[in-house]
Amino acid sequence: MATQKYIAFADIPAWLEELSAAQTVYAPRREGKAVVYRPWQKGEQPELVERPTESAKHIVFPRAEELFRFNYQQAPETGGSKKLSLAEPADPAPAVVFAALPCDTRGFLFFDPVYSGSGTNGKFQDIYYLKRRACTTLITRTCRAPLATCFCNWTGGGPANREGADVLSTDVEGGLFLEALTEKGEAVLKSAALSPATEAHISAAQSSRDKAARSMGDAPDLGRTPPALISLFENLDFWREQSAGCLSCGACTYLCPTCYCFNITDESNGISGVRLRSWDACMFALFTLEASGHNPRNGRAARLRNRVGHKFSYYPGLHEGRFSCCGCGRCIKSCPSSIDIRRIVQNALAATEASRG
Amino acid sequence: MSLHTELQTAIKAILPDVSCVIGWSGGPDALRGAPLFMRSEDDVNNFSGGFFAVNNPALYLPEYKGSKVAVVAKGCDSRSIGQLLAEKLINREEIHIIGFPCQGVIDNAKVVAALAGKVEAGQVTAVEETDETIELSFPDQTISLKKTDVMADKCSRCLYPNALISDTFVGEKREPAITEDPYADLAAFEALPLEERQAFWEKEMSRCIRCYACRNACPLCVCRDHCAAESRNPEWVTQADGVREKLFFQIIHASHLAGRCTGCGECQRACPMGIPVLLLKRSLSRRTEELFAYRAGVDAEATPPLLTFTLEEPRIQEREW
Amino acid sequence: MAEPTKKSKKAAPKNAVPKSAAPAEQLPAYRPGTPNAYLPMLATVVEVVTETHNIKTFRLVLNDAELMGKFSFRAGQVGQLSMLGVGESTFVINSPPTRKEYLQFSVMRAGENTSALHTLQAGDTIGVRAPLGNSFPYESMQGKDIIFVGGGIGMAPLRTLLLFMLDNRKDYGKISLLYGARSPQDMAFSADLPEWTGRKDLDCVLTIDREAEGWQHKVGLIPNVLLEMAPKPENCVAITCGPPIMIKFTLQALEKLGFKPEQIYTTLERRMKCGVGICGRCNIGEKYVCIDGPVFSLAELKGIPNEL
Repeated sequence: MATQKYIAFADIPAWLEELSAAQTVYAPRREGKAVVYRPWQKGEQPELVERPTESAKHIVFPRAEELFRFNYQQAPETGGSKKLSLAEPADPAPAVVFAALPCDTRGFLFFDPVYSGSGTNGKFQDIYYLKRRACTTLITRTCRAPLATCFCNWTGGGPANREGADVLSTDVEGGLFLEALTEKGEAVLKSAALSPATEAHISAAQSSRDKAARSMGDAPDLGRTPPALISLFENLDFWREQSAGCLSCGACTYLCPTCYCFNITDESNGISGVRLRSWDACMFALFTLEASGHNPRNGRAARLRNRVGHKFSYYPGLHEGRFSCCGCGRCIKSCPSSIDIRRIVQNALAATEASRG
Repeated sequence: MSLHTELQTAIKAILPDVSCVIGWSGGPDALRGAPLFMRSEDDVNNFSGGFFAVNNPALYLPEYKGSKVAVVAKGCDSRSIGQLLAEKLINREEIHIIGFPCQGVIDNAKVVAALAGKVEAGQVTAVEETDETIELSFPDQTISLKKTDVMADKCSRCLYPNALISDTFVGEKREPAITEDPYADLAAFEALPLEERQAFWEKEMSRCIRCYACRNACPLCVCRDHCAAESRNPEWVTQADGVREKLFFQIIHASHLAGRCTGCGECQRACPMGIPVLLLKRSLSRRTEELFAYRAGVDAEATPPLLTFTLEEPRIQEREW
Repeated sequence: MAEPTKKSKKAAPKNAVPKSAAPAEQLPAYRPGTPNAYLPMLATVVEVVTETHNIKTFRLVLNDAELMGKFSFRAGQVGQLSMLGVGESTFVINSPPTRKEYLQFSVMRAGENTSALHTLQAGDTIGVRAPLGNSFPYESMQGKDIIFVGGGIGMAPLRTLLLFMLDNRKDYGKISLLYGARSPQDMAFSADLPEWTGRKDLDCVLTIDREAEGWQHKVGLIPNVLLEMAPKPENCVAITCGPPIMIKFTLQALEKLGFKPEQIYTTLERRMKCGVGICGRCNIGEKYVCIDGPVFSLAELKGIPNEL
């Protein structure tokens, strides 16, 4: 029987303080006009009304991380040639994410196969991601009500989604009902700051989750989206129309819990430096620009087509039909031009439906 | 006839002569608008100006160069158009401008702040607009906000509510929101000690995710795909996730806009992390206005001072140095 | 690695309801000792050959003698060469798997990385990640006639397979090579040319775009010369690589000669970073050039979105 606990909202800082003795605890904090996941500070009550502006992906997949350091040494014994040495970074420190959104947590499940090397049958794996993933505990919080931009139920998620979570917490009167879903989850629930959950907590949490699920409305059938997007690939007029307002910036991609593309750059100070892996986005013109000057994705119509195509056609084609979108709606909510990926998908379905007659 | 209907009529009248008319529609939630590219009368029926018409349509004009387009312009939008014309980035004869008197636009970040602790702005299901207020419907409650409380700061210090340049002007011209110094609000911040201002920027920029929405939303950011931020040869900014890099880019951006920025505020509005990046640009604008007696975008015929050379600047008394 | 990487890929269910993500037992776990896919091996440049005004060939030996001894690859596979402090770029290993005293890469100067690579001298150390990507399916070509059509630096990926086949000559039928460049000075691998033109068991045709003094071979654009050569499509495989415009017209010429898409192979270029199918940069639809390529048959290319 999985551990079930209760904590009053007022006691959350005490629990997080205990957890932060052994690991970095990340919790939502309002900063200016945004809500961001920050290393929790002593006494801090996390922001629990406004949902985080950013997703939690940077905690497992940092915006920039060191792959290794390099150093050239002028060595006399090599006859004037420089001696090169490489040094890998230390292993990451364990972390806990408190009050992650269910869609944020689920987002990691779309990274997992790719970073475990599904493309090469596991021959090449991303050990940086896998190490961080292994030492990060995700405490998810059931959503209370959807935003106008939320659509997690369209792509297989839900406001009380458990997938990927180590602990699922759900609001009940005055506090959170907590249930461990994994061994990592059991570990963080072993705390004197928590009290055992009562039958009342259990049933209140259940009705809270049911209410959240009901609030989502009906999901359209997106089953034909992958072939629809393929058949529209060469219909540039369609993509120009969808992307007319697009700025070709990276707001959608960088806030997205499932977008996983990166760049690799060397940051050198002459004889030594670091090879960095940093976030990159298929919405940027430079993403596919080749040294010859040729760009296979010239123009933002081609770039937006790739973003939507990857999430709703290419990725599902490689990963048992799963859309690589968790429906968090951040790309819609934070798009400076109000581009709505739900509409693009539905427009694609409508356009192919029309041509099928 | 309402201003909205008049605008729609004006748009429909020009539609046959242009490849498209750039304006606004409703957005993905009831508090947000979206840019709209109208090519048919049906599209025009989706037109929605007013309090939610926040996007600056001037941003899109350079890419339509070579074909005739029309654009619906607020006062601030018209300054961007004026500056694009002054810099010869667009051709006057290719653009039909439909101007109107702007009553101000919403700042969604202010709505979020006004609702903080109560309800999330994003849960809004419907919005009713009156002359003075917006009435927001949420699943469990209704909240009324005064427009002046959630209006963009640029509107409360607006000197030019009416499009400064237009081929068709629809509606009655409005009086500007203020008549005095539009930079008066900068004084308090600029009076802070350097260390405090540095600390302010480091804290704000620590949220930056380097999405470059600020840059790409700027109608006057002309380098587009050839930005110093991403150039590797030479390399100005590293990919390290540090405040130094992020602030450095903002300073590059602001410097490139010195004497060119019209203060439309799209950089700041576009920022998903709510970083007040317009502040840097306004600080430079105030100085360039003082030094060169030039206000960007107000006169499409003028030569921007940093794009030319004058032996004697009227306000820089080099001989006295 | 003796076998090319194969991918088990199930077709997407066509009418899928939203699927839940991977079940818990499939969640990734980091296994200690998993090799770091991004960490290059160190290698020493043993020889630099200046091929043309903008192409240099580098011969490398891995610093770790044991790794060098065990190193194996298939013709067509690529490597990522690192100039630490500048960056990494992808190049085909153009020496054949049958000749293992060094690994050979040829680099055309185009951007920042390739310019830096051009400064390398014998004795310098660089980073190498290899072998990466798929390879030519040469087992399936056994007993068949082969026609290679290479243009400019596009000769590099053909060279490895050509030499591999010449080293296993009895396994293949008639082997022909059409290699073209703009001018005699633009022709790379000049050290190989006397052998290639002299061999009785290789039909080698060299061509340049315009007449040049002292040029003893063909003059004419590659697709036109190919039509003149008129290789018979029966039991034949065509392998081509070169600049995009040459590829375009060569493919047209091959189809005109009666070659079917299944009989034609080419290698693709795409901006790459990780080289191992993770960073998401080099996709064309569902295919990632770094792991599903760089070698594709024309039949495969016709099945993916046209985004070259």
